[in-house]
Amino acid sequence: MGVKVRLRKSYYEAEDSKRRRDRAKGRAKTGAKIEAKKAFMLDVSFEMENELVVLFGPSGSGKTTLFKCISGITDPDCGNITVNNKVYYNKNNKINLPIQKRNLGYVFQNYTLFPHMDVRKNIECGLKNWNKESREERVMEMMSLLHIEELEKRYPFQLSGGQKQRVALARALAPRPELLLLDEPFSALDKGIKTEFIEKIKSLQNKLKIPLLFITHSLEEAFMLADRVLVMHGGKIQQFGTLDEISYHPENRHVAELTGLSNLFDDARVVGYDEISKSTVLMSGDLKIRINSLELNPGNLISWGIHPEDITFLLPGSEDQDKNIYQAYVSSVINKGPKKKITVKLIRHYKTLIAEVPAQFVESLRLSAGDSCLIKMEMSKVVVF
Amino acid sequence: MIPMLDQIWFPLSITLWIATMSSLLVLCSGVVIAYIFARRDFRGKKLAELLVTLPLVLPPTVIGYLLVILVGKNGFIGHLIFNVLGTGIMFTRQAAVIAAYTVSLPLMVRTAQAAIEAVDKELEYAAYILGRSEIETALLITLPLAKRGILAGLVLSFARAVGEFGATLMLAGNIPGKTNTMSISIYSAFQAGNNELAQVLVLILVLMSLLFIALTGKIASREKFEV
Repeated sequence: MGVKVRLRKSYYEAEDSKRRRDRAKGRAKTGAKIEAKKAFMLDVSFEMENELVVLFGPSGSGKTTLFKCISGITDPDCGNITVNNKVYYNKNNKINLPIQKRNLGYVFQNYTLFPHMDVRKNIECGLKNWNKESREERVMEMMSLLHIEELEKRYPFQLSGGQKQRVALARALAPRPELLLLDEPFSALDKGIKTEFIEKIKSLQNKLKIPLLFITHSLEEAFMLADRVLVMHGGKIQQFGTLDEISYHPENRHVAELTGLSNLFDDARVVGYDEISKSTVLMSGDLKIRINSLELNPGNLISWGIHPEDITFLLPGSEDQDKNIYQAYVSSVINKGPKKKITVKLIRHYKTLIAEVPAQFVESLRLSAGDSCLIKMEMSKVVVF
Repeated sequence: MIPMLDQIWFPLSITLWIATMSSLLVLCSGVVIAYIFARRDFRGKKLAELLVTLPLVLPPTVIGYLLVILVGKNGFIGHLIFNVLGTGIMFTRQAAVIAAYTVSLPLMVRTAQAAIEAVDKELEYAAYILGRSEIETALLITLPLAKRGILAGLVLSFARAVGEFGATLMLAGNIPGKTNTMSISIYSAFQAGNNELAQVLVLILVLMSLLFIALTGKIASREKFEV
């Protein structure tokens, strides 16, 4: 059971006719096939159970293209796609199930409700071979599940963004899909409705027990929704793991940056393991940092970082590098909603860090630009990769 | 000289009959052609598009001549028709329908094609994903959403068929009581110096044209769904 995907798809740069002719000529001369210049390649492989997986990555990372391959809107170049033991696509066995036979639900980014049909007709569209009674029953069931009964006779242009989204979800779920694909369904919603929908989608997934893939480029949404997160960048899966894994054990720089690790340094060298404090010592420039990780070879050059929320401020005192406590001064304080973003400079180490702390905390410490302060990076919170 | 009712009634009825027949044919075939042009890719598509559009720019006499070659007794199609019906169709009202169809088809195809191309492809994919076949999707989603373009194409084709003169004259001739359409009757009345008849016929055509313009305006201003 579950979803197995392994596929590759290339996109080529648009060629003008002259370049295409030249390429054809070149092939005629050498007999070798000359490929057009590749612009983008999607190359992914993953497996999931009946769970909610968030596809997280910047725009242009291939998330929607992956959805189009799974749903059959475009064909991959090679690979295979299997959902609940049903083969959707297999290049080697020449299987390519038509879109209509794939039985999945797809909510497009702009909802794609049929503008000339009312809400009921939209939901009914997927219930092609159902008899009249069961079809009506199913529509009612879907409308009550998503609380849209009163919208039955409305047309899409009479609906708000949130309502359209409910209708799109009802339409996608009505034919009992085996897999649900949601492409940034929240991008057009207000923040308040968003939180409500995130709860709704989580409970729906719990109830239906079908695999659910959810595209987003918002870190916040990913954190609120996911069991597991599939981080994509440049057409490739960078990491597939739980929130804790991708935030505190990123596999590479892309993942670290995407998960909001804005304090990133590439100049650390592993000094060695300290038996007494049970920690590994790094030197980043002349900054000594202790971390909890064990499997690092002395002498290795590694990258380290810390999330802005994981930097804590202490009452004034003295620097203690063995406890990751450093002297610093505040270079700026910026409001960021209920939180404040504080830029601090480490006094003797020429490093700048960004911290995020609750506003009330900043007020009680009376921190403002120019003040000196003492910061701490918890050993377990320092990220290395 | 007061024109006799029959002198007005017959050209009007034959013109309406020809335009209706031609428009029905244009509707059936034009929408299919427009859908294929808008949604499918095949070898020689550019050439096919060119051939369908050609009558829009060809001089009517050239169209008439080419049609005579095709539909005439020795032409490929004419020969086929002769074998089936046992009689030729040159100089009949059916020939006039063929002439009107040829010149008005491009108007329908171009307008409907543009309207179909403007339908968001994602809506079609959404229907496929909901299990609908391509034909069902075309009938349920694409064509209803392109309805305004198709209706506009239909009005244009009908108007063009009503006004058709050159190719009709060459293919169907000017046989009184048989193929003398409005346009042709105006010309022959004018030639014969029967100005009263010409004026009445002209007046009727002007009124019909005004009606067409009002009709297209009404289609264009109809309630629009926001997508």
